[in-house]
Amino acid sequence: MILSGYEALFFWIFALAAIFAALLTVMARNAVHSALFLISSLVSVAALFVLAGAEFIAGVQILVYVGGVMVLFLFVIMLVNVGAEEHGREEIFNNRRQVTASLIFCFLLVAGVLYAVNEGYRGLQKSRPIPENALGAGTRPTETGPPGATGTSMITKDTEAVGNSLYRYASLPFEIASVLLLVAIIGSVMLARTLKQEASADDVDPELLQEEIARDSELAKLEPQSE
Amino acid sequence: MLLLGPVNVLNDLLLRFFSQETINFFIWPLIQIGLVVTLVALWVAYATYLERKISAFMQARLGPMRVGPWGLLQPIADGLKLLTKEDFIPEKADRWIFFFAPYIAVASAFIVFSVVPFGPDWAVIADVNIGLLLVLAVSSVGVLALILAGWSSNSKYALLGGLRSSAQMVSYEVAMGLSLIGALMFARTLSLSGIVGAQGSDSIWFILYQPAGFMLFLISGIAENNRAPFDLPEAESELVAGFHTEYSGMRWSLFFMAEYAAMVVVSAVAATVYLGGWYFPFVYRLETAGYHNLYVIVSLLVFLVKVSIILYIYFWLRWTLPRFRYDQLMDIGWKWLIPSALINIALSAIAIFLVQALNGYRGMRTIESLDRGLNLTATGKGIMIVIGFAGVFIIAALLARINWRSRDFNLKTQRRNIRLVNLPKGKPAVSVSEV
Repeated sequence: MILSGYEALFFWIFALAAIFAALLTVMARNAVHSALFLISSLVSVAALFVLAGAEFIAGVQILVYVGGVMVLFLFVIMLVNVGAEEHGREEIFNNRRQVTASLIFCFLLVAGVLYAVNEGYRGLQKSRPIPENALGAGTRPTETGPPGATGTSMITKDTEAVGNSLYRYASLPFEIASVLLLVAIIGSVMLARTLKQEASADDVDPELLQEEIARDSELAKLEPQSE
Repeated sequence: MLLLGPVNVLNDLLLRFFSQETINFFIWPLIQIGLVVTLVALWVAYATYLERKISAFMQARLGPMRVGPWGLLQPIADGLKLLTKEDFIPEKADRWIFFFAPYIAVASAFIVFSVVPFGPDWAVIADVNIGLLLVLAVSSVGVLALILAGWSSNSKYALLGGLRSSAQMVSYEVAMGLSLIGALMFARTLSLSGIVGAQGSDSIWFILYQPAGFMLFLISGIAENNRAPFDLPEAESELVAGFHTEYSGMRWSLFFMAEYAAMVVVSAVAATVYLGGWYFPFVYRLETAGYHNLYVIVSLLVFLVKVSIILYIYFWLRWTLPRFRYDQLMDIGWKWLIPSALINIALSAIAIFLVQALNGYRGMRTIESLDRGLNLTATGKGIMIVIGFAGVFIIAALLARINWRSRDFNLKTQRRNIRLVNLPKGKPAVSVSEV
């Protein structure tokens, strides 16, 4: 696919915006400013998804990352007072070893991306036909629906294709991922609320606490707190 | 042909300078956007007037009466006053973020209007295939404005308001998204024009199939807009004015505008998804009679009336109900709205399955055709409506059972109850010998 006209213009605008915002994310001194630059980078990437014809992914990117994850990030940054770093005046990139290591990793990353893009391009050149059922019945990615109400936009079947492939062919990984998230939630609750905390909040039955102390003598000093 | 004459003249005039493609892709959308932004801004201004009038009538007062006849010029006078007021920035505020937060709020409220179908044909700016997803995504960005405004003011009331709003909106966003899925099962598309089209081709409003979904969407929409009774981020009696305590002049009025614009957005989405959007029975006869532009304009008016009705519900609730406590707010969000939205999705799936299974049972015909979504016959619609309204009670009963005495949930008593049952410690609840 060769970009031309307005598409190329928008591609360059958003690509450069994504890169510069990502750089500023690392270089900003204030944590909230960093988060804001990260948000602009994510929005630019969403715009690139739209240019690539993946509107659903773009919408989900903004909904999940900007509307959900980054809001929680900001929430945490505001609760945790990060004052020490932001008033510092020393340079951020001062260590020679840090710079060397990051340059090496940057080089490896660029080499990997270039290799992957080349391989993908060669794979596309072979133009292997996509099996009829790979994306669900009748939802080939190239298929376009009727023109929109204004006649200017074409409605693609992008969303249907994502739904079909997610729930028909990738339902097991999908379920595993959701179980993983559930485990993470329960785990974080367990970590956040230990018996020690519960005892100090007077949430434990005295009899049970006695039993626990008999098992684990370390808890003995909690007893006066709970009474 | 009403209105078409000047449009053609303008098109010919533009053709001298631009190609037809540029006109179709850039000039016309720009004209549409300009019109919508102006009209929505006016509408928002008069929404404040209406709110004051309605609240006045509810409290047996007259409301604004001085500026113009019946106080009709009051919003304009208010706007002029706010423009001339000092735009104050606190000394210790983060200047740039303080400066930009109101613009994020207004932009995220107004961008959504780009996908709302105000009417058929030329009354749509953009019909994108992820319309509803875009609405949810962009309105979730609106939270950022509130948090940033609260943080950058460098004031404890503002920060508390910002933290409250982020917690509130993140939890109600989930319920909002889930409550729409029931209606999407019938529409089978995310495009807002497509949803209106699905209701038009089936000649029904989805509120009849999805009364529970409509209620859930409306409640979580009110919470998402931080309106009373969910206005904790700006609770006057506790936090002065919450996240916009330090704002003044034009910047304060931008927040005000964003709040009302977001209200109009939620009402417009509710009207589109549940009340049929611009679709109204018998209006289509104008199109078949040949009055195309009249048809579009009448549809536009129908849409405006529907949105106004939902806006009235907003005002009504604000001036009737007291504010929730913070723990009650979180209870409603997590213990009631999200589970009921999930139950609603399951019930809708069962209803669709049932109607399809009943087709052909003892000569019953429920499905008209399956070509364009799910077109039902009168019997099928009847079954669907009955299940929909019964669903409200089923959901209420189920949740009342689940949440029974959840208010007095207490770890201590819970542990004591477990001990009273006397489960053996450290062994599985069901021993191997029993199996």
